[in-house]
Formats: sequence, C-alpha cells, structure tokens
Amino acid sequence: MTRQPFNALPKLSFCLMLIALSLLFSSTSYAIPAFARMYGTSCSTCHIDFPKLNDFGKAFKDAGFKFPKDDESMLKIPPVMLGAPANKELWPKAIWPGTIPGIPPIGLRMNTYFQYTGTSSGKFASLTPAGTLAPFVPTTDFETGLFSIFTAGNFGSDIAFWVDDDISVSGANANGDLGDGYLKFVNISRLMKLPKDSLNFKIGQFELELPFTQARSIWISPYDIYTQANIGAMNSLVPLQQFVNNQFSMDAAGQGVEFSGGLHTGGYNYSIAIIDQNTSGIGQDQNPGSPYVPQATGSNNGGLGVASDSNFKDIYASFNYRFNLEHDKESRDAIQAAGPTGPRDHTYLNFGTYYFYGRSVQRLLGAAADGTSAVVTAREPFYRVGGNMTFNYRCCLQFNALYMFGHDENLLPIDASGMLIPLQNLGTAVPVGFIHSTPATFSGGFVDAEWLAYPWMYVMVRYDGVNSTSDRINGLQTNPSFTGAPFNAPFASTRNRITPGVQFLIHPNIKASFEYQFRPSQSVVIATNPVTGLPIALNPFHTNTAVAGLEWVY
Amino acid sequence: MMRCFLLTLLLIAAVAATAFAGTIEGKVSPGKSVVYVDTIPGKTFPAPAQKPMMDQKGLMFNPRLLVVQVGTTVEFQNDDSVQHNVFWPSVGGNKKLSHNLGTWPKGDKRPFTFDSPGVVPLLCNVHPEMSGYIIVSPTPYFTETDAGGNYKIDSVPDGKYNVVAWHEGIKQTKSVDVAGTSKADFALSK
Repeated sequence: MTRQPFNALPKLSFCLMLIALSLLFSSTSYAIPAFARMYGTSCSTCHIDFPKLNDFGKAFKDAGFKFPKDDESMLKIPPVMLGAPANKELWPKAIWPGTIPGIPPIGLRMNTYFQYTGTSSGKFASLTPAGTLAPFVPTTDFETGLFSIFTAGNFGSDIAFWVDDDISVSGANANGDLGDGYLKFVNISRLMKLPKDSLNFKIGQFELELPFTQARSIWISPYDIYTQANIGAMNSLVPLQQFVNNQFSMDAAGQGVEFSGGLHTGGYNYSIAIIDQNTSGIGQDQNPGSPYVPQATGSNNGGLGVASDSNFKDIYASFNYRFNLEHDKESRDAIQAAGPTGPRDHTYLNFGTYYFYGRSVQRLLGAAADGTSAVVTAREPFYRVGGNMTFNYRCCLQFNALYMFGHDENLLPIDASGMLIPLQNLGTAVPVGFIHSTPATFSGGFVDAEWLAYPWMYVMVRYDGVNSTSDRINGLQTNPSFTGAPFNAPFASTRNRITPGVQFLIHPNIKASFEYQFRPSQSVVIATNPVTGLPIALNPFHTNTAVAGLEWVY
Repeated sequence: MMRCFLLTLLLIAAVAATAFAGTIEGKVSPGKSVVYVDTIPGKTFPAPAQKPMMDQKGLMFNPRLLVVQVGTTVEFQNDDSVQHNVFWPSVGGNKKLSHNLGTWPKGDKRPFTFDSPGVVPLLCNVHPEMSGYIIVSPTPYFTETDAGGNYKIDSVPDGKYNVVAWHEGIKQTKSVDVAGTSKADFALSK
C-alpha cells in the first residue's frame, strides 16, 4: 500500500462531494406502511414524524414488530399458519409451527430533494493549482434520492425479521445496496428462565444500537460525528505524521450478531454486538475476479465472498437507562402515559453510554528480517467511546445530546535500520515493521432540540461539532502558512454547523422537510498579522446550504 | 257482559291510536344511513333510561354508527389492550360543543350525556384512523336504514315534520306530511 502526499484540491473535491452525497443518501430512514395495512392503523400509531418512533412504536419494535399485548386480536389481516399449533406437542417429531404475515409485508419509499448551495463555494477555485480544473458546485440542484423497498414482520414464536434495500439511488437503477437485513429472536430470555425481555438475539446486517439512530432520524442531514472516519494527519508539510487510514464510521451497518435486552420505553436497555471488521471500506464487490478469494457468484471457488478485511471482530456495547418521570406509578410503567386528554409519550430522562472497539488494518508490501519480500501488517486498535442524554417532555419537546471520543493507535512504518519512513516515501522505501507514535484522535457530538409544534409540524435545530487535528492538517493547502481551511474545515475543527429545520406532514405518509446549514467561517485569503507576524485568514465567508426534501412511503 | 264492553273499548282505543300515529318509510341512497324527525317546535321528550354503549375494540369504534335520542347517556368502553382516547371536535358542527373524554384502561367505561342534537364525529387522538359517529336525534322518531337504504319509522304522530336523512358527510332534509303511512325517499349526494 502506498500513500500519496497530501494534495488539497482532491481533498476539497472529495469534501464537496461527500457533503452532497451525505445529504442525499445517508439518511436511510424507514417507516413501515406494511404494518399500517396489516393492523389497519395509521402511521402515527407508531411514529411521531416518520420514521421517528413514539413510545408505542418503540414498544412495537421491542416486541418483535408486534403489538405488545393481544397482537392477534389487533391484526386485520390474520397471519397464515405454517403448521397447526398442536405440532408443538409433537416436537421433535414435527417441525415447530410458525406463521407468515397474511399479506406480503412490503413497504416502498421514495424521496426527492432540492439543494441550494451558497455561491461562496466558488471562492475555493482560487486554491486550484495552475493547469487544474477547479471543482464546480452548482448553486441549485434537483436530485432524486432513494427508491427503497423494505419488509418486516414476525414469523411467530417471537422471531422477527427486517430487510430494507435501496433499489435505486439518485435516479440510477440498481446501484443501491442492502441497508439492514436481519432475523431477531425476541425474548429468548424466557428459554433460560431469565427476566422477561432481558435477552434478544439478532443476526445479519444491521445498524448498531446507536444512542440516536441514524436510520430512523428525522433529519435530512446525517449526524456529523457518526460519519467521522479517522484518517490520520498526512500532510507532508506538517511535522505530525499519522499512518492511520480507518474508514470505519459509526453509521455504517455491520454484519454480525447482537445480544440485547431491556425496553426502550422505560428502565434499562443494552446491546452487545460482534461484527465483522472492515476498516478499509472495501467490500467484496471491490475484489472481483480473484482466483484466490471466494466470490459471491460465478466462481468455481465457492464460498460466499468476503465482507471484512480482517479476522478480528469488532465489539460494540451500549447501555441506556430511561427514567419515566410521571408521578403516578401505573402511568409511569405503562407503554404510554395516560394523560388527561389521551395517551401520550412519557416525560422522561434517558442517560446512556457506548463503547466500540476494533482494530484497523493496513497492509504494506515490505520485507522480512532476512530481506525477503513480505507483507507487513499494521493492526491499529481503535475505540470510540461516549455518552448520550435525552430529555423528552410529553409528546412535543425533546432535547438530545451526544458526545464521542475517537482514538486510533498510530503505527508508523520503519525501515530495516529502524528509521521512520516518511509517509510520502512509502512507495519507494521498504518497511519492515512499525513503531507507536502519536495516536489519531477526534472528539465531538451534537445537541439538538425538536419541538412538535403541531401533530403535523416539527421544528428543530441542531448543532454538530467534530474536532480533529488530523482533519484540520489534512485540510490545509500546500502553503504551510495557510491557517484558513477549505469548504468545511475551519482552523480549529473539522466540521461544525448549526442546522435549523422544519418538517411538515402533508399526510401521515408524506413529508416535506427543510434544513438550512450554517457552516463555520472559512477563508482562502492569507495575510500576515503586522503585530504578531503570524499568518491570518482574511475575508471570511460561509458556504451555507439549504436543502428541501419530499419523502413518501406507501 | 261487562267483559265484552271493556274489550270493545280497548279495540276502539287501539284503532284510534293507530289512526293518529303514522309511519314514515322510504329509501335512502346511497345505502346505510340514518333518518330522523327533526326538532318539533314546542315539543320535548323525556330522556330514555337506556344507556347504549360505544365500544373501542380492535382499533375501531363499535358500532361505527350509533343513533340516540337527545338526553341519552352513552357509555364509552375501551376493550383494547392499548390505550385509547375519545373526543369529538363538534356536535352538529358547533365546535363549542367539542369535548375530550380522556383516557381510561381496558374494561373501564366512561359515560357522557348528549344534551344537544346533531352529528357527533368520534375520534381517538392516538389512532387517527379510528372513526365513529353518534347521531343525536332531537326526537324519539329515528331509525337506521338497512344496507339497501330502506327504512321505516313507526309511531310518528300525524302532522307535518322535517325529516332528516344523514349519510356520512351528507345530509338532506325534507318536509313530510304524516297521516297514516307516508313515504319519503332521499337521494343524497355530495
């Protein structure tokens, strides 16, 4: 593996593209009209503002996509029996009977967007080296988003399933991918005489049990901290060098298993997931045709293909405790609180913490001690740790906060004499091993407030902040005195923005969303401070973005 | 001899009663509807003692349509294992008569006496798809049609009345002379 010295412009183009893509494609949110059909009920039975779940929706999900009580009497379309219940008495001489939904539980989703980008984005063209085309960001842009299919339900015996897949993305056919696809065995604690709901088991591909789900977020733009990949400082003009290239981000779906328990409507809930490691960001589809790697299809080598880039399995754990704050115990313990004018979400306070541990892998063509050619592997342990808090007031007002600290070990390559190999020389020097150096770290999070002004209108505001020294260094242009930063990398932090938004439910299944993103001050003009003699950034500007979206599910 | 005399009197009384209490019948399209005699000026009727029930079961109001005389107490019951609510945004279009009955657990019921005539659209504020109607008739002369829209209201005193036919979202009033059996057909359209 070779590393190129940092060049600002490709990075800038990448940043611009990343922003646009993240706005359009990262908010993989889903509601399930299939459930509305089966139960003959409105989306708002489970959703406040789809796909955000209300307390009843959380209980429905916890129960394995079933009504927590008397599910059968609520179904308007009864399930199809895959065996008479009496077969249970014959087991193991008969197959344990199950059910399938009475109709194919399929939902479809489509969204489309319009984006306005501040004209100041064009100022970055001045950073373009001579003979290079400057990246162009259109001021206005229409863009189709996702057309997705999703299906979920319960097979009886408390076995739930979920599959969602983006059939097309951005108007192009079949270039989407699988979101989540898993089977969940709900409440297996009952088989072990453990307390009810204390243990579930999930297997497949799924979003980690993040404190605030990205998949069911109502925001158009993703939480910046979730999309933060830890790429070490690689600007050859800056003394700090970090051989870290960890593409892992918290919002990515993982393949593996998850043990979980507790309820999301009150008390504790936890999750422990063991998932494939893939820190290179390269999936099996990026390695086609190799005679040595099992391919998913069309190969005589058999196998299923590979999704991970290491034998190591990453571990994620989270724990939350939610205090429902109603005075009346009966109301406090109910799925929804009994208000004087009708059931409503609880007033609650939730505290949580989470931890992710993995090992980033980088492989280089180097040499063994005897000088023969060998692959040298840098296995760099990393972790993400943080906490979260939510205060919810009844139906209508919610405050959320999340903090994350990211830490990656930094192994720098050395040559046979034990000297550090400058990263820009990796293509020519021969590494034989690594030594520990300054870890690559970042921190940040977000706070937001969400107010349900009317049952059909949400007003929100969010602050995102991600601080990363290495990202800042990577964002500097080739002039070492430059202390400004391109597009979204101000001097002190990689990304921070304030995003007010408003959403309108035109119908329970059709939503119009608007977001305006105030981005930090930036500059492309450098001068010297006549007093201090230090470089300063002049003519600061903001490259703000407005996004409007229409989304419908059916 | 005395017994024969009493029987004769009884027969005469019965015939007389029949002669002064008529019937309104006819057909309402489009089908399942409610027909009632509208307010009769200067006439009041005692409130009935029966307390009909409006149930919530399987995320539905059951029955979906209930006709009662003004002054009737209706009992609202929750038979679901999920929480429900009952409220109505108006009575007869009068939003000042909106009311929220609140929440109560499974098996419990909550009474409400309807003192104003009109259409009461029932809603649940957690399950917006739930829909029911109570039609509060100002007189005891009301009925529901069959599925084909056929109806018959008995024991209506002879006279001239405004007769109202109501189908969800549509209403029509006709003046009907009641003397014996009178016929009134309604063709409701939006």
